Amino acid sequence: MTVKLINKDRFNVFLERLASGNELVAPIEEDGNIFYRRVTSVNEITLEADAFCFAPKGHFFPQYEVLYKYQQGSNALVLEEPGPAGPSVLLGVKPCDARALLSLDPVFDGNYKDAYYLDKRVKTTIIGLSCRKVRYNCFCRAFGFGPTSGEGADLFLTEVKDGYLAEALTSKGEALLKDYSDLFTETGVDGALQEKEQLAVQLDTQFKRKVDLDGVKARLDNMFEHPYWERLARKCLTCGICTFVCPTCHCFDIIDENGGGSNCGSRLRCWDACMFTDFTLHTSGHNPRPGKKERVRNRFMHKLKYHLDRYRVTGCVGCGRCIEKCPVNMDIIQVIAEIKEVG
Amino acid sequence: MEQAVRNPLLPQPATIEKIIPETGDVNTFRVTLDNAEAMTRWRHEPGQLAMLSVFGVGEAMFSISSSPTQREYLEFSIKRMGKVTTALHGLEEGAKIGLRGPYGNYFPYEKMKGKDLLFIGGGIGLAPLRSLIDFVLADENRGDYGKVEIIYGARSYDDLCFKRQIFEEWPQKEGTAVYTTIDREEEQWDGHVGFVPAYVEEIAPAAGNKIALTCGPPIMIKFVLQAMEKLGFKDEQIYSTLELRMKCGIGKCGRCNIGSKFVCLDGPVFNLTEIKELPPEF
Repeated sequence: MTVKLINKDRFNVFLERLASGNELVAPIEEDGNIFYRRVTSVNEITLEADAFCFAPKGHFFPQYEVLYKYQQGSNALVLEEPGPAGPSVLLGVKPCDARALLSLDPVFDGNYKDAYYLDKRVKTTIIGLSCRKVRYNCFCRAFGFGPTSGEGADLFLTEVKDGYLAEALTSKGEALLKDYSDLFTETGVDGALQEKEQLAVQLDTQFKRKVDLDGVKARLDNMFEHPYWERLARKCLTCGICTFVCPTCHCFDIIDENGGGSNCGSRLRCWDACMFTDFTLHTSGHNPRPGKKERVRNRFMHKLKYHLDRYRVTGCVGCGRCIEKCPVNMDIIQVIAEIKEVG
Repeated sequence: MEQAVRNPLLPQPATIEKIIPETGDVNTFRVTLDNAEAMTRWRHEPGQLAMLSVFGVGEAMFSISSSPTQREYLEFSIKRMGKVTTALHGLEEGAKIGLRGPYGNYFPYEKMKGKDLLFIGGGIGLAPLRSLIDFVLADENRGDYGKVEIIYGARSYDDLCFKRQIFEEWPQKEGTAVYTTIDREEEQWDGHVGFVPAYVEEIAPAAGNKIALTCGPPIMIKFVLQAMEKLGFKDEQIYSTLELRMKCGIGKCGRCNIGSKFVCLDGPVFNLTEIKELPPEF
């Protein structure tokens, strides 16, 4: 593993060069929120803002994505796939979001490989970044990693006083350091690594909420019929914001959009949510998850049990976004604690 | 840059070669892939599913109701219910549709070899069973299986699917018995009248060395299973298919999960022991 250092001036050059040679996607502030957007000017990039930051999952799994276009003649049918993705760099990915990609990968991989997600995944280099502060609802440590963990990133940056420490964690990360070797140095790396350790210790003290997942899965294994879900679901509005901001939620719908005429258009997929009434509604009118109880139960079960059962990795990474955005204070940290009480 | 992965969500162009009306609201669509080589290469197992597309309307998952031994075409027996099925019913022979698949698991016909088979179907529920019935009754496979009994019911005579097969073709096969019933008395109908579960109890098929396969409306399945238990069938002897709303068919869209299982990947065929282990949410 190669570890190097880059000073602030050279870091700006690094960004300039990344943006000119690739599609560079980075956090950009807009109306008080931060979104991962394609960078047109490196001045837009905001790596250290306090605003709420949406997850970068949309880079691989866009909120709205054309799967293919169709054109239907009287005796011919032509389906046209979008062109393959180009190379891109996703910059400034938080440890929780990098780890979330490791939860999404087995969903989109497997026997049937999702070409859209995996094509972009293969061609994207992920530059992670240590957090500089811990938000009130952060609980990544419950999942075995922390605000300075690079797991899931190719190159992992930590801001230090002289610039950024850069740790290559994969061959893609190594390649990046090699391609830009004129900007990175080995001088001062030891000091920067010490600074990173100090940062980790300091951030560790900033976590406000204690979360212990020990025993939660075992309780959920036997909690499907528990009256707790009915009680928990009562206040839920099933608005779906929790799934929208979640870095690991991946449910989608597939719909057709006619292109003006009756015989051509696009088939596309867009984010969908298990919190919505008609998500599982059969044509017959039968609905296996007809009420809030069933839908809320499915979401928490999915995050803390089903995903783990199926893929051996949790469907939650402790980013705290769903807690922060829920209009009725549905709080997964509290749910975890309550499961341990009632289960 | 090349696309890194082949795209399983892309349908293949296909043609509706023939439309066979089964009932007032069920048609069997005989479909071939436009690419002749792809049609030759096509393989499915009895009980598997495929996704059909009417472009501009949408995609829906259907069980393939024709036997894998039928290599010239695929058949889908489809009830007119919602958007996509209504659009399919509005198409004429020669219409172009999209097809992708096959998906899901299948009836474990290898494990059934040497056993008697009991099929219990209700309404359109005979469609997925039909792929296995025609498979085991095909000349090349018939010797592998014992007696074949088929108990089938629908609301009315008009609602019975595959009439030619249930009244003519299947009963004529050696070692095969077909029992049909309709829910209410009708003029011209001199067959059995009554619900399927009650008819199963009346016929009282012996449980020994037998595999039972049932598919139909949930309420029918529920009471059929109670009848089977009374008749001494063990859970391991009984298979059914589950049906949930699906969009992708390949375990990504998150819609057809029952607990940590996806019906599109881990189903649609489940043994009753497996069904009893699932959370009751289907």
